[in-house]
Amino acid sequence: MKCAWLALLSLRLPGPPVTFDKDIAPITYQYCAPCHHAGEVAPFPLLTYRDVRSHAAQIIAVTQRRYMPPWPPEPGYGDFAGERRLTEAQLRLIADWVKQGMPEGKPSDLPPNPHFTAGWQMGAPDLIVKMPQPYTVPAAGGDVFRNFVIPVDLKETKYVRAVELRPGNTGVVHHANIVVDRTRRLRQRDGEDGQSGFPGMDVTTEGSPDVFDPDSHFLFWKPGSVLEPEPEGMSWRLDPGTDLILNLHLQPKGKPELIQPTIGFYFSSRPPTLFPMLLQLEHDGALDIPPGDRNFQVTDELKLPVAVDVLAIYPHAHYVGKQIEAWATLPDGTRRWLIKINDWDINWQAVYTYRHPVPLPAGATLAMRITYDNSSANPRNPSNPPIRVHGGDRSIDEMGHVWLQVLPKKESHEDPRLLLQEALMRRRLEKYPGDFLAHYNLGALCQFRGDTRGAITYYQQALQVQPQNATARNSLAAAFMTENRLGDAIPELQEALRIDPAYLNARYNLARALAANGNPDEAAREYAEFLKQKTDDPDAQAGLGTVLLAEHRYDEALPHFREAARLKPDDADIQTNLGALLAMRGDLIGATQAFENALRINPDHQTARANLARARASLAAQRDAAKPN
Amino acid sequence: MFALALAALSQQAGILASHGEKATVLLFIRSDCPISNRYAPELERLYKKYSPLGIDFLLVYPEAGLTEAAMKQHSRDYGYSIPSVLDPHHEYVARAKARVTPEAAVFIHGELAYVGRIDDRYVDLGKARAQPSQHELEDELSAICSGRVPPFHETRSVGCVIEDLK
Repeated sequence: MKCAWLALLSLRLPGPPVTFDKDIAPITYQYCAPCHHAGEVAPFPLLTYRDVRSHAAQIIAVTQRRYMPPWPPEPGYGDFAGERRLTEAQLRLIADWVKQGMPEGKPSDLPPNPHFTAGWQMGAPDLIVKMPQPYTVPAAGGDVFRNFVIPVDLKETKYVRAVELRPGNTGVVHHANIVVDRTRRLRQRDGEDGQSGFPGMDVTTEGSPDVFDPDSHFLFWKPGSVLEPEPEGMSWRLDPGTDLILNLHLQPKGKPELIQPTIGFYFSSRPPTLFPMLLQLEHDGALDIPPGDRNFQVTDELKLPVAVDVLAIYPHAHYVGKQIEAWATLPDGTRRWLIKINDWDINWQAVYTYRHPVPLPAGATLAMRITYDNSSANPRNPSNPPIRVHGGDRSIDEMGHVWLQVLPKKESHEDPRLLLQEALMRRRLEKYPGDFLAHYNLGALCQFRGDTRGAITYYQQALQVQPQNATARNSLAAAFMTENRLGDAIPELQEALRIDPAYLNARYNLARALAANGNPDEAAREYAEFLKQKTDDPDAQAGLGTVLLAEHRYDEALPHFREAARLKPDDADIQTNLGALLAMRGDLIGATQAFENALRINPDHQTARANLARARASLAAQRDAAKPN
Repeated sequence: MFALALAALSQQAGILASHGEKATVLLFIRSDCPISNRYAPELERLYKKYSPLGIDFLLVYPEAGLTEAAMKQHSRDYGYSIPSVLDPHHEYVARAKARVTPEAAVFIHGELAYVGRIDDRYVDLGKARAQPSQHELEDELSAICSGRVPPFHETRSVGCVIEDLK
């Protein structure tokens, strides 16, 4: 009896007084208000006492279930910057405050109001681009996953230190990825279904064919993102002639919404000195999930050939995905967790940046395991009744990816990114023995390292898989040309151009190969064809000039060398040939200048030196001849 | 006092007295609740389909501090042609035993026959099916229109908690 009375008493004992100003505002300012303030995407503000009080029951409901603030990673499986997870003590505090009648407290206890910058977060961007056509998100229906092509007009290469997406003031943009399309190939899909953009949950682009500079930055936006400039030295290259592909997850909100996002770039004056890389763990080819299977797993792993610092991680699956885990096994067998998400929700997918980079030694193995629930017990299952699910970019397809941004450590003379690329591609061949991309990329790596024979073998294997791939034909031909096998190179290039007549790189190589193979007329034709499409290419101008020069068609050659010299003033060979042509026309003064230019660029240019001596001698002779006796 | 308030209400909005309609549906929504907003096209569809068949519809905004003008604006923005009413003192909420927005309450001749979700699209906060598999409100309305009087039943709706007035 006495015990029961005591228990009753203790239930009635009020907890320590909790007030908004002293206890709750520090929580809501940090965890709620960044998204819940006017002008942001969250549906209502949670900034003031009145705001919070008028949603108190809802706040209890969503925080107790950890629906808000949204923070899917499990604690203890990776230490992330900007963690938005409430502690048990904070949850208790909120509950106690509501139980106590939501007292406001003393204004003197209130922490300073959080400051939110309206508009561009880092001030006026250096470049602003806008989605060319607005897009209407319908009032009703399922989520929309759509890609929009945004051309970037630049005169010269820039280095980007930050990118900000402004989705527009609506709240229909649930998250966004920006993909850099250096080849501008994806624009061909724009409008393919009669509306602006093209559908698809995921996009991939080809790298630029000439430079090994893989995309190495996550350009990801989610509501409430804080704009973080790239760390010092980690700017990235943005070239003229680039398209941005804006990959948007759009959620109908009950009324039609017009969106036209803008993207702002902040440039750095300095090119990068640190070169991170994105490593992808995936095995979409193994995605073949029977309907009703509640526990289907896909795994992948990658042994690191070099030491890396892991900077950030981006897990990705669609609606059937249930759990995502990633870890590294160190050479001594220790497991180091990189992330664990137990209740995967694509709506809250995000890039997670580690508070401190996670160092991993060479020989560590990265691993991922993704579990799928393709039963009708998974309410997010897009198919009801469930259907067999494969890999793909539609919402009824699945994916299973873990992307890691790593900063590789240079431990030998070789670029560690090449070693990582090689490890990735070799792993890819293990997963997909008949894979085009792996063969092609391994060929490119061999070629880059000077192993032309190896490159030829890989390219030929790639072409067995995709005989119609013009890029691979062109690369194979380039390898043949390095080996001086012009007779093998020419038909490959002709085939590449048959497949893609607008393929300029192949056209240029064909012209070069024909010229080197002693077919000047055909070479001149190909150069001329190339220059019709790209007049301002100095190498093609000089190439055509050289062919004409060898054919003794000096008058025709001269304008091409003039143009080449204008476009590329720092090329000693061009200057030397220009000088020679001028000299042949009798313009000895112009010729002398050109030879002098060539020697300024390259003091060791023997032809220029010899020509200059002859030109000066001829000039002297002319002056002597002109002197009255 | 309570009874008086309800009596006044019933004259004003006609929800408790029968005027020859088969049933009255109260649709509880909140202007800033994303889930209830996402239901706007579906609620309007049901209105267009069942109001000509003798079912009365009323949008009820139970949020404290919402003005008449803000309510009208919201209703216009979301394409509603359903008549709407503010419920600043939660009289409708109490009568319908509504707990969240969006939630539907169906009255037949003034008696509560159904209260709960519109359909089962939302399983939990942040957990939605691509398509609903159960359409409780529409099933109820279609049963009433075919002359049946379903016994009282309720379901749990997922959405934004109707905040206590304190």
